[in-house]
Amino acid sequence: MSTESTVPKRRYWALNGEDARRMCTAIVGGLVLAIMTGPEGAISDPTYGVKTSLLTGHVVGYFIFGVVLGCLLTYRAKVKDGTWRRVRTARRRTMSERVTAFSSIWRYAFLAVTTFLVALISLIFADFSGPVTRNKMSVHVLEHQFLYTRTYGYLVLAVALWFVVVNQVMQLSSFKLRSLPRPVLGLSAIIAILLFSLTSDPFLPARFSWRALDPHASNSLFHHWTTYLWLILGLAVTISWLFRRDPIDGAKPARRSRALAVTPEMRIITYVAAGFIVFEAPKYLSLYWQISLYQQIGVFCLLAIGLNIVVGFAGLLDLGYVAFYALGAYVTAYFSGALPLHPPFQLNPFFIIPFAIIIAMLSGVLLGLPTLRLRGDYLAIVTLGFGEIVYVLANDWTQVTYGSAGTGAITNFNVHLLGINYVWNPVNPLSYYYLMIGILIPAIFLFDFLNHSKVGRTWAAIREDEVAAQSLGINALKYKVMAFAMGASTAGVAGVFTAVKVGHLFPNTFVLQLSITILVLVIFGGMGSIVGVLFGAIVLQWLPSYLNFHSYFGYQQADLYLYIGALLVVMMIFRPQGLVPSRRRRREILDAEEGLGSADALGAITQEQPS
Amino acid sequence: MTSADPIFEVKDVTLRFGGVTSLNNVSLNQERGEILSVIGPNGAGKTSLFNCLTGVYLPQEGSITFHPTQTKAIKIVGRAPHRVAQAGVARTFQTSRMFNALTTFENVKIGVEAHQKTGPIGAMLKLPRTRHEEKFSDQRSHELLEYVNLTHRTNTLASSLPYGDRRRLEIARALGTDPKVLLLDEPAAGTNPSEKLALAELISRINTELGISILLIEHDMKLVMSLAQRLIVLNFGGVIAEGTPQEIQENPLVIEAYLGASDEATQ
Repeated sequence: MSTESTVPKRRYWALNGEDARRMCTAIVGGLVLAIMTGPEGAISDPTYGVKTSLLTGHVVGYFIFGVVLGCLLTYRAKVKDGTWRRVRTARRRTMSERVTAFSSIWRYAFLAVTTFLVALISLIFADFSGPVTRNKMSVHVLEHQFLYTRTYGYLVLAVALWFVVVNQVMQLSSFKLRSLPRPVLGLSAIIAILLFSLTSDPFLPARFSWRALDPHASNSLFHHWTTYLWLILGLAVTISWLFRRDPIDGAKPARRSRALAVTPEMRIITYVAAGFIVFEAPKYLSLYWQISLYQQIGVFCLLAIGLNIVVGFAGLLDLGYVAFYALGAYVTAYFSGALPLHPPFQLNPFFIIPFAIIIAMLSGVLLGLPTLRLRGDYLAIVTLGFGEIVYVLANDWTQVTYGSAGTGAITNFNVHLLGINYVWNPVNPLSYYYLMIGILIPAIFLFDFLNHSKVGRTWAAIREDEVAAQSLGINALKYKVMAFAMGASTAGVAGVFTAVKVGHLFPNTFVLQLSITILVLVIFGGMGSIVGVLFGAIVLQWLPSYLNFHSYFGYQQADLYLYIGALLVVMMIFRPQGLVPSRRRRREILDAEEGLGSADALGAITQEQPS
Repeated sequence: MTSADPIFEVKDVTLRFGGVTSLNNVSLNQERGEILSVIGPNGAGKTSLFNCLTGVYLPQEGSITFHPTQTKAIKIVGRAPHRVAQAGVARTFQTSRMFNALTTFENVKIGVEAHQKTGPIGAMLKLPRTRHEEKFSDQRSHELLEYVNLTHRTNTLASSLPYGDRRRLEIARALGTDPKVLLLDEPAAGTNPSEKLALAELISRINTELGISILLIEHDMKLVMSLAQRLIVLNFGGVIAEGTPQEIQENPLVIEAYLGASDEATQ
């Protein structure tokens, strides 16, 4: 620390030994990463010669990474001790503020240009996803797209959404959709939904002509139950929106938003867009991605939101989370008769789910009751041990689990009810995906309600100050066990889904590394924030699947965890609260940096104990 | 001294930490509806006494009985802190312990909600009872914030509250649990004179309007003498005097403990 900080003139390039050391550490760290991840033989093999092995793009890339990291660290340190001024002192202007600062002509120009772009994108998307594969990706055939109804569906949807967004963001007029007469709105909603319904089935090319709207035609829109599904859904949303009562002014404290005021229209747009991405987009993916979407992303989303309850909401560090996942999976194997122990009755996987929930929950309670009296670090060690115990049991107790040889075949999901007979088939991975969505979406909403309820607030209170919480009559142990059990049961459900899809279980699926991976998803996305955790799970699970086919800078699959580790280090330095942090967690970390409160990054609780 | 209707009966409580005796044979009674103040020099064992009364510390000897009503008696020694709180003992802390990342309103609401029955299932599904309780706790929290004059800070983060407001927020949060007795640990520490006046007014209002008995630790003698109906003086873990403010001010033992006597101080 220099005492010259009181001198008004700042010496901008006052670098000292500390900075040099920091820079060197970052660069050497980058090079070590390069050596450890390098393509086999290139660097470690002396016969290659120093020159050739050091001048690979790989090493250069990591050198640059080290330099950039060093610069960023220096910048951060200098800003903190006041030597340098922050580059951006003023609050960043939001998108809406920038746009509304335009003069009115420019605003309309902006609208026109962006609308054209949106229309073009929707056209390309319609082309890309359309029934004709012949001329895909050629700009010349875009005009042919207008022969197909789906094009209009996309076009209308995209442009309408864009207009509402722009109207909200730019405040071009005080026009509100809801101010139109209700019959007009209702009618246009029905037409929009029909058009959308036309776009929704890529497997029936015949429906993409206008004939599909003719009820007497053989391949009419009205012969497909998906149409009616969309109609019911769309009408329900429309009606509830039209007849929603306006909130009374001042009934709720105004929410201070950072970027945009969240209006009902914006919310509906978000839901529609999210619904489109979730339900429609997967149909256009390749088989590889459809499988990944379920196996890599869907299951891990479920695991991550489950662990988020334990780590994010309740602030307990659980390193043995995978044990509950394994329990769910092996319970499925047991009730499918795939284990040496035969169950009293075999069950359809749908009916195994409640059993998996109950068994995982019970084991969570049993593990939690004695261990949750411990403080953060000890709890982490005990859960770590539990994870290993379950793995070793699965691996070595061959009389019960078949050990490392793997279990027998596990029954697939199937429905035989009221004349509907449907068996899920690995050939069509989307069927599993939609099933997963059916579990995931309710889980997301339920956990969100939970977080914003008494229970969620109580967890926050315990996380922040357990002694104060107890002085209010809160049974901290009960709430911690509750969080543990809920996290465990979510993992149990994920276990059922994995077991059914994989068909045979092997113990080496359920190793410690998996627990760590799930924890990383949660920390990366933002502890305590469901959106953040989902985001983390999607990004970090998508990336390895993507990199399997695209090897950059000598990336090899075995190096994955090294990169994830490096990513986590960088995250912890620059954004410890995660990418999309929850508001509460962000505040806690800010407070902790200022020495307030007892919450560290993982919420280990410091508690005074009488001796 | 016997009393007709005590709320706290402390008998011969001894608390040791290793070789250090923090409380030595402490006995005291608090009448229902009384403002009783515990004073004493630093390290006299006042906060230790509070921690025993709220179940945080487990005294090695003696008994503490809490009477939420005239007919009910609850043994506090050996009871978990949260169960003591559920019985009707609320407290504030010497160094204020807020839930810093939550807003003022949420802090109070947690206090109100601590005694509600909603469980995780009800919370997830927003069952009718949960909605009902939520509505009640919202309303009650607003009332309490108004009662302690913090309405203008409803949506402020607890960590950004000034010192005096934190004290009052802590009191509001404790009142949310619907206590029979309120234990205040140096509520006026770090507040300015005008805040002190407002605080004294608030404490006597809680006592008279809500009928809540108050046990008060405080160093500010002016505040203590104006508020308390009775005082207990602790020194080196033992009770050295007990009586009305007037009596205490004239008690030679007390003066000695605070100012030091000629021969003992030189030890």
